[in-house]
Parts: sequence; C-alpha cells; structure tokens
Amino acid sequence: MNIAVCVCQVPDTASVIGFVDGAIDLTRVNDVMNPYDEYALEEAVSLKERFEGSTVTVFSVAAVSAKEMLRKALAMGADRAVLVSNIVVSDSFQTAQVLCQAISAFYQQALPDLVFCGKHSTDFQNGQVPPMLAEMLGIPSVTGITALHASFESIQVEREIEGGLEYIDINYPALLSADKGLNMPRKTSIRAVIEARKKTIDLFYATLCENASVAMISIEPLERKKICKFMHSEKELIRHLNEEYSFF
Amino acid sequence: MNKFLVFLEQREGIVKKTSIDTWNRVQDLAALYGDSAVFGILAGPVDLQQLCASLSGKGVIYHASNEAFRLYNPGHYARLVAETLKLEACTTIFFADTVLSRDLAPKLSLRLKASLLSGCTIFDVSKEVCVRCLRPVYSGSTIASFVAERSIKIYTILSSAKLFHSISEAYPTIIPLETCCLTGSEDLFPIVRRMVMYSGRQDVTEASIIVAGGRGMGGSEGFVILEQLAQLLGGAVGASRQAVDGGWRPHFEQIGQTGKTVAPALYLACGISGTPQHLAGLGSGSTVVAAINSDRYAPIFDVADYGIVGDVHLVLPKLLDALHEFLKRK
Repeated sequence: MNIAVCVCQVPDTASVIGFVDGAIDLTRVNDVMNPYDEYALEEAVSLKERFEGSTVTVFSVAAVSAKEMLRKALAMGADRAVLVSNIVVSDSFQTAQVLCQAISAFYQQALPDLVFCGKHSTDFQNGQVPPMLAEMLGIPSVTGITALHASFESIQVEREIEGGLEYIDINYPALLSADKGLNMPRKTSIRAVIEARKKTIDLFYATLCENASVAMISIEPLERKKICKFMHSEKELIRHLNEEYSFF
Repeated sequence: MNKFLVFLEQREGIVKKTSIDTWNRVQDLAALYGDSAVFGILAGPVDLQQLCASLSGKGVIYHASNEAFRLYNPGHYARLVAETLKLEACTTIFFADTVLSRDLAPKLSLRLKASLLSGCTIFDVSKEVCVRCLRPVYSGSTIASFVAERSIKIYTILSSAKLFHSISEAYPTIIPLETCCLTGSEDLFPIVRRMVMYSGRQDVTEASIIVAGGRGMGGSEGFVILEQLAQLLGGAVGASRQAVDGGWRPHFEQIGQTGKTVAPALYLACGISGTPQHLAGLGSGSTVVAAINSDRYAPIFDVADYGIVGDVHLVLPKLLDALHEFLKRK
C-alpha cells in the first residue's frame, strides 16, 4: 500500500506570539509538528506495519527549517519525505494546490492508496486543506476520524459528531483526516532517529497557478483579561448572575 | 440584491440549534445590509412542526425531504446546495460551524470556485458591502480578520449562543424540493452507513451553559456534581485536557486547543487553572465566565467575570443547593 501523509508546522503550545510595531512577530516562536498530524502519521505507520510492502511518504509545504520536523516524521516510521519550500502560500486553497502538485508528481500521476492529514492545524484551525486536497486529487474523503478499520478491499471509519457518532464506509483511494483519539502517537527511539538520517528528504519545486481565495487583512493581539468580581458566597454568585444576565 | 443561502443541518429529523442560530444571525445581517433576501436549504426528512416552531423571519426554505438525504452524504448534499444556489442566484452561503460543515464546505467551495471562511465569530459589514470576518487564531492569543476574494462566498459561523433572541413576526415559507435527479450514483463514496446519537446529554458545542471541570475535580467521581449542575441548568458538561487525558471524561467533552471551541452564554470553570491552551477553546469574548478554584492566583481568574476562591468539593454542593432553592422560588 502506498500511503501519503501531509504534515505541517505550528507554534508549540508554550510559544508567545509577539507583535513589533503593530506587526506580528513570529521570530521567538518554536515550531513543532501539528499535533493532529501526529495522529495521521501514526495511523499511516501502523497500517504500513500491518500491510507488508507498504510505504509511507510525508509531504509538507513549509520553510526549509521544517527539515527537522520531517526527520522526526521519518523517525516515527515514514520512509521518505518531500518538502516544498520554494513557495509562500497565502491560504488553504493554495496549500492544497501545492500539496496536490507534489503528491501527483511523486506518484507520477498514479494515486496513493491512502492520504492522511491532521484534522486541522492548531494555529489557524481552518481544517480546509484535507477535503480541498481530496477534491483536487479526485478522491473521496472523510474528515476528523476517530477510528479506522482497513482491509485490502475496503475501509470503515468512525467519527464523532455533535452528540453522537457516524460510521462511514469508504473505498480506496481515499483521504482521511485524523482527530484526537484515533491512536496514541509513538515516541521515537534513539535508534529510529539515527536510522531516519539515512532516509531521503526530497525538495519539490511547485508553482502557484491561482490566486489565493481568501485574504487575511489584519492580525492583532487579543486581549482577554477581565476584572474578576470575587464572590463571598454561592448565593451571592447566583444573585449576580441572575440580576445581570438572567441566566436562571 | 444580496441573496443569502443558509444551510440548515438536521440530525434524526430535528434541525440543529446551531443552524437555527445561524439562520437568525443571517436574518440580522440581511436587515443590516438592506435589499437582501434569505433562503434556506434543508436536506432530509424533518419534524415540520419543530421546524416551523423554531424558525422565524422572512425567507424561503427549500426542503429536500427525500429519504436519501436522511444521513449526511457529501456528494448529494453538495449537489443540493449547488442547485439551490443556482436556482435563486445566491452569492453567499452560510453554515453553522459543525463537523458536517467542516466536511462539506471545503468540498463545496472547490466545486463552486468559492472562497471559504471557517469558524467566523464576528462579521464586520462595511459600507462597500465588503464583509470582514473576524476570528481568534494562534490558540486565541490573536484575532485576525479575513475577506473572501471570490464572487461566491461560503462562511461557517461559530454559534454564539444567546439565551434570548428577538423573534420576528414573520415566518419563512417552506417549499418542497423535487430531487430524484440529484441522487445518482456519482460520488458513490463516502457513505454514512449508520449514525448513533447519544441520548440524555447536550453537546458542549450546542449548549448555552457549560459546566466544566479540570484537574481540581480530582477524578471522575468529582464530575458527578457537575453533571447534576448541568442537568439542573439545562446545560452541558465540559472538561479540560487534564480531565480527559486522565480518563475521567470522554474526549468529546474536551474544551481547548486540541478539543472543542465553544461560545456559550455562561461558562462555569470548576477546578480549572486556565492555561492558554484551555482558554483557546472559549471562542467568544461575550461568554460570561465564572470560576471556582482554590488558588486565588490561578490564571482562570484573569479571564473570569466572577470568581469564588475555594475548594470545589465544598463550594459546588452549596452552589447546587442554592440553585435548587433559587429555582424553586422563581
């Protein structure tokens, strides 16, 4: 089975997004693999281990510094990595387009059997790239899966919906985006890290064919601080919540 | 004329509250713009009585009640929305931000060559009929504004639950849609084979009141009182990442950066310290936050409107009793 996994980088949870002269400053930000992409990668590698002769290739549209993250992906069990860093993408549509180009070129117009993505990236939380990419590749997709049962012939997935669960059938080739709960991403052993150094990271040069469909026109710090009114009793809290907001 | 199309999501024949909220918001938007018309598209058999009782405002709702639309099917639903868009020459589509719309809207945007803005919280309508969409990004530390560049626009809106909203005098017209030609074998997969809805509890993303617990609750037994509070208030139970990772609560209750983003009217944070990753899950600045924590300097109090410093195990039973009494007197 040929499996592709799309990964991206996001600021880690401890990073502080800075602003200098009103403009966003990401220089003090530490980049890590998007947590949801780890679930995607883990699932791909597990499938590779189950289906002999399978390969996992990771694809990423990111700056050259993302090579470190790709080494981690290789240490987790991916066989090869493809990095597109010659283009700056402005929106999800362009990201999906570039990934589509890279994947199509790599598999030489044939399609991988499965493409895994993380449900969304924790920075912008759009969640648009996976289904857009699937449409561009011309394959069906299911977003946000929490369980996967795959045989050679077919795939059954589960996903959480508001107040319930959906059980979904899908056939190969397909794209699936992973939600938390799908699996527990493995920790990389030192041996895996050393072996990963022998694996290839290819650079792919993509071209942007279309303009971005969405423009970000401003970004500012969001101030959430409030003055907390401390209550001396539970009754006092209820009284305030009722008087000011009629909650109850 | 501005023509807006609102996608109304149903599950088990009941239109979702978040879709009703979206319909209401679009009604407000249409009134603000002036010279606008609101249309709705509803896929699947529904309880028409519930539908008519829930929706107010002027507009036309196209209803495809074919059994084939009962369960979500991206191919069928996408064609349905595209056909309705064409029928009424709408230029903008609104979805509530749900699992379904996160799955459908991106696919639809490609088919319609439309711009897609997901998870919008605030709409800023300027004079030049340019809608700016604001939403928190980077785990809630920053707020960004976006515009859709293409002529057809799709927005998914994070439902900001208000307990009360003005009900218009008018009611929408419901027009049945004939759809046998739309359920062909194109787009065979994916197929939703089965859907199971949990009974007896409200989903965090749909609740107007959330009673959330964190590490301070001590374990799954600690959440029993939160469930009682939620039930009394008609709300939902939420959890921090620590509570979920500890196995005390299921993942679908997790609120935060790797959980759900919610915008209830009232958020009661119990035994939650208030890490930035948790607060990232509070999507709206207009949510009233009340916190209970034994640590006077817990970060949660920096973002809370009200606070009680104390042991949750002592405070919550008293709060529950006081609420019982209060509600009895009403």
